[in-house]
Amino acid sequence: MLSDPRQSDKVMGVVNTSDVTRTVVTLAVALGLAAIAPLGARAIGETTLFDVRQVAFDDASDRPRESAARRLAWEVRKRTSIETRLRPTRARLDDPSIFETPFLYWAGDQAFPPISEGEISGLRRFVEFGGFVLVDDASPDGSGFDESIQREVARAFPEQRFGTLPASHTIYRSFYLLDRPVGRVAGPREVRAIEHGGRAALVYSRHDLGGAWARDNLGTWEHAVIPGGDRQRERAIRFGVNLVMYALCLDYKDDQVHAPFIMRRRGSMP
Amino acid sequence: MDTLRFDLAVPGGALTATILAICLAVVVGLGLLELRRDGRRDRARVLAGLRIVTALFVFAVAVQPRWTGERFTTTEGRLAVLVDTSRSMGVAASSTSRAERTEELLRRWHGEAGGDSADAAFYRFGEGAIPVALEELAEALPRDDDQTRIGASLDEVIGGDGGADLGAVVIVSDGAGDIDEGELAALAASGARVHAVAVGAAEDLVDDAIEMVEADEIAFLRQAARVRVVVHTTRGEGTEVPVALHAGEELVRETTVVADARGRGVAEIAFVPSELGRSVYRLSIPLAPGDAVAENNERVFLVRVTRDKLRVLLVAGRPSWDERFLRSFLKRDPSIDLISFFILRTGADLTMAAPDEMALIPFPTDELFSEHLGSFDLVFFQNFEFAPYQMAGYLPRIRDYVMRGGGFAMIGGDLSFASAGYGETPIAEILPVAMPSGDVPQQRTLVMGRFAPVVVPGRSRHPLIELLPDPAASAALWSRVEPLEGANVLTGLRGDGQALLTHPRRRDSHGEAMPVLAVGSAGIGRTLAFGTDTSYRWGISTGGASGDASMYERFWDRAIRWLTRDPTLDPAQVTTDRPNYGAGAPVRVTAVLRDASYEPLAGRTIRVALLAGDGTELAHEELTSDAAGRVEATLDGPLLPGGYRAAARLGDDLSWLAEEGFVVESGGEELAAPAARPETLRTIAARTRGTFVTLQEAPSLDGFDSTRRRSLGTTTLAPLASFWAFLSLVLLFGVEWVLRRAWGRR
Repeated sequence: MLSDPRQSDKVMGVVNTSDVTRTVVTLAVALGLAAIAPLGARAIGETTLFDVRQVAFDDASDRPRESAARRLAWEVRKRTSIETRLRPTRARLDDPSIFETPFLYWAGDQAFPPISEGEISGLRRFVEFGGFVLVDDASPDGSGFDESIQREVARAFPEQRFGTLPASHTIYRSFYLLDRPVGRVAGPREVRAIEHGGRAALVYSRHDLGGAWARDNLGTWEHAVIPGGDRQRERAIRFGVNLVMYALCLDYKDDQVHAPFIMRRRGSMP
Repeated sequence: MDTLRFDLAVPGGALTATILAICLAVVVGLGLLELRRDGRRDRARVLAGLRIVTALFVFAVAVQPRWTGERFTTTEGRLAVLVDTSRSMGVAASSTSRAERTEELLRRWHGEAGGDSADAAFYRFGEGAIPVALEELAEALPRDDDQTRIGASLDEVIGGDGGADLGAVVIVSDGAGDIDEGELAALAASGARVHAVAVGAAEDLVDDAIEMVEADEIAFLRQAARVRVVVHTTRGEGTEVPVALHAGEELVRETTVVADARGRGVAEIAFVPSELGRSVYRLSIPLAPGDAVAENNERVFLVRVTRDKLRVLLVAGRPSWDERFLRSFLKRDPSIDLISFFILRTGADLTMAAPDEMALIPFPTDELFSEHLGSFDLVFFQNFEFAPYQMAGYLPRIRDYVMRGGGFAMIGGDLSFASAGYGETPIAEILPVAMPSGDVPQQRTLVMGRFAPVVVPGRSRHPLIELLPDPAASAALWSRVEPLEGANVLTGLRGDGQALLTHPRRRDSHGEAMPVLAVGSAGIGRTLAFGTDTSYRWGISTGGASGDASMYERFWDRAIRWLTRDPTLDPAQVTTDRPNYGAGAPVRVTAVLRDASYEPLAGRTIRVALLAGDGTELAHEELTSDAAGRVEATLDGPLLPGGYRAAARLGDDLSWLAEEGFVVESGGEELAAPAARPETLRTIAARTRGTFVTLQEAPSLDGFDSTRRRSLGTTTLAPLASFWAFLSLVLLFGVEWVLRRAWGRR
């Protein structure tokens, strides 16, 4: 059930005059933002840029939200001091190049067969050596991705079980103050995680985060968010920014010096 | 055979034999019960007898009895006489000291020998055994050795070059010394008799003493430290003894111990160090009436006071992988108290949220760089530009902080070094590298592309490069690391800066390979410049490629320890053989000197000295260092109790390169428990088949048995460990089986 019919147009495949109007407005806003946003990344080399690198597989099952990574990279660069790579790369889990940049975005919207032992080994070593993995179920209503990902995570980390990240976790205040995760769908009130070395090393969201971030080249949101509209989409983007910030700063916002500021602002939140 | 020993070769010995005997008895018993039902009595008796004989034979073959005999020969040998010259021999329970009473015996022996003591070799002993003439000892027995190492001294004489033709050893001592069970066993196995002449008795001394002091060598600033004191009194159970702890002349704490039935009382005294560095503390108890040894009423100990944790400030210009891995490493180290500030948003960023919806806090520049800067041991600027945060006014403070002893590291990136305009700031004065200054275009401040940094020749011994104890393994580690990406343009070294890693292609303004990693000093602080922000690749990327991600942590652990002047990483090291000495005791000093590049100062004249608290030289020696830059000297120790330093420097230099603290006590360990311990000597004599006599009972030297028993070998007899015994057993079984069959049994 979609709460805002205007947002459902794209999903339903209907084209009307409001689409054209919105496209024009979106283009104008995008051009305006582009003018004031940093023009190019300042960095000392390609690998120092934050890359929302997507996990690649042989078939097309790895691309349920094609533009989501690119959009997240853009939002992170626009909103924070992090320099991102605006054309995110892809790599298989058994590709040695996954160790070039320590962030992986693994999205899926359907069940998939067991991945190879090489990929399992790559995933395990990636996490052990300090990497961060964001797993995003793009079809959380029961497509089979959940069962598949749980199976693969159990293979990679047989000693560990998914835990839930409580509302007090740093991930909800690493940049924005948030009270829960949301994506294209409101989903559960928490995300789950595999911890390694005292940090959440693999975060698993069943909110279709990529669905809320995905935007086409003309600036049109590709999927309506349910049920919260633009406000929910903004919160989904903020959660994505927080995840990136957490990957780079870990528990920085748990440092004592931040506590009085955050507590005061938490008190003022609705 | 002189000795004969019986044992069982079966594993488990007597226990196994007992179990086997019980099992066989049960088997035989069951067999006999069966035979009782047989009406043919003669046959039953034969079978029963056969069963019993077989069982006994089985038992004997199974347990394998054996007899081991040993033959000895007894030969006449030389006599060695060890005379105790430790400070406890100066203790006088009556009008004459133990040493004076010993002198009388030595004079008697000298007289009896008619001035010829060639058959007996004399040694004085304390820390070790030193050959000496009897005449010299008899004239005036020294009493200045600071230790009484009985076991080690006997081993030196018996196991030394002349030990082979030694018949017996006579030890003249008060027994107040050390010998452990291992040394006793070795003595007994040597075959040499040790005759003991006991000087003094256990009960003849009136003395209150601080018997033991246990304090941590390292204490933390403004945190309670503890010292455990054991006081011994000969004045009986229930005696109260006040104990005072002083720091310098200031009384820190006072308490009272009550002696138990053994005359001992224990106190734990807490104290709070208030100054960094070495602090000398003094424990004392009052001098009781008739106290025989005043020196042991006071003990001195040295405490090195440090901060409990290193305080590190990490300032990063933006979140990045380099920042993430460094923070993660610093947070994991329990010895580091990390304060970090990251710039999460700049003025150009559009956060799309009201301030109350964000977790951002203001950058507290004044608080960090004005109020608390001095409390940090190390400051990191990681890809951090100062200008947007009105930091220019704080940069002189950071320079001064380093000059006063702080550590500073600048890590590269596009917001660092010349890219951020540090070339014209006070920070440039403390960095070990030079950089482009003025209005330089960004592309001229950065070098793009991947590169494998090159270890600078001659710097492989530097602790930031020699990451493993084995130089070859360390070099292999560097050869395996993944390349870095991008570098800051550095135009050369400045001051005493040393390049440790350089760029393989880029040259600096002098035509030399461009530094990538350089270290140096400013004032008494240390600095590091690392012109890249991709060292995290030594962790995850190297780990992914080689399976070993430890390089990153090894490097940064060393870097932090070096920057904060961890003494174990100093190029010059001085050590003493002990932390505390008695008055005037010799101090053995070892110095290993290397230059700032950690290359040994070989073949150089090194001055080794003992220094008083005010720096006055009390004793010194000049020596030539070996290939490793090492010298060893033995210097006369100070006479007055207190804290001192052993130091080393180049002969033609005026500044000391390294030093180590030690304390001198009037009594020390040697006089902590000065009561004579004849039981120690009695045990030695008993274990070595020697005789034990008191000073008064001591015979002439000829009266000591100097024959030595040596083993000629052992012979073992195991009659049942043969093929024939086994064959006999089979035959017995066979006969019994045949008869049983022949007589109609199963």
